[in-house]
Amino acid sequence: MSRECDEALTDLYTYLDAELDTASNAKIKAHLDECPGCEASFDFEGRLRTVVKARLNEDVPDSFVSKLKEALADEADCPPE
Amino acid sequence: MADQANFETDALQYSRQLYSAAMRMTRNSADAEDLVQETYLKAYRAYHTFEAGTNLKAWLYRILTNTYINKYRKDSRRPTEVDLGTVEDLYLYRRLGSQESAEAARTTEDRVLDGLVESDIKSAVEELPETFRMPVLLADLEGFAYKEIAEILDIPIGTVMSRLHRGRKAMQKRLWEFAKQRGLLPEDAERP
Repeated sequence: MSRECDEALTDLYTYLDAELDTASNAKIKAHLDECPGCEASFDFEGRLRTVVKARLNEDVPDSFVSKLKEALADEADCPPE
Repeated sequence: MADQANFETDALQYSRQLYSAAMRMTRNSADAEDLVQETYLKAYRAYHTFEAGTNLKAWLYRILTNTYINKYRKDSRRPTEVDLGTVEDLYLYRRLGSQESAEAARTTEDRVLDGLVESDIKSAVEELPETFRMPVLLADLEGFAYKEIAEILDIPIGTVMSRLHRGRKAMQKRLWEFAKQRGLLPEDAERP
């Protein structure tokens, strides 16, 4: 692990979150282009994130959205007080 | 100022996403439905205070989060800082074992990513202490920016970043345990 690798790792999440400033972002990109080790680990973290997002999503019961609409309609008809 | 007559058209499009987040907060569908419904009723009543053109999704999540905290966390007021212990960076990646080639490494990675089932991922998030679970949900499930998460949770951006960082690493440690239990890791993967 070089100093560049350490620096890249520090910014791993900020980079994947697309929250780095343009200069730091370019620096990481350049490092990933020339360092297969970091490129592989960043790639894994990115894929893990996609998997996490996909598997956290919940199937919403079909009845739920219509129940919500009814509750809002009731509220509009007779608001509390 | 937003017009209450447009509330349904404007706000209901987020109900499925809010429900997913509510499920990870309350951990059961009855409470999740109640929580989302209460969120929408509160939002409807307060819609005249919403500044049209600003971030409606973030506004709804702020109400969802506050409602959850007030309703389901009566006993403990503000969350205390929890020590998650020290988890190194790339925790899971570094425990996939040594590989002879890039292809072999890729095969192991794919096996782990495909083999971690929905319930593993959900448990890993739900087991996080609330202080960490909220930022992780808002970032990794909802894709909110740091600034938006800071506004929703009413904490500084630096705190968002450190909680996200620690929460995600703690999650990886749990995912590694699930991967091990499911036999997804190669024999030599015990130590990095």
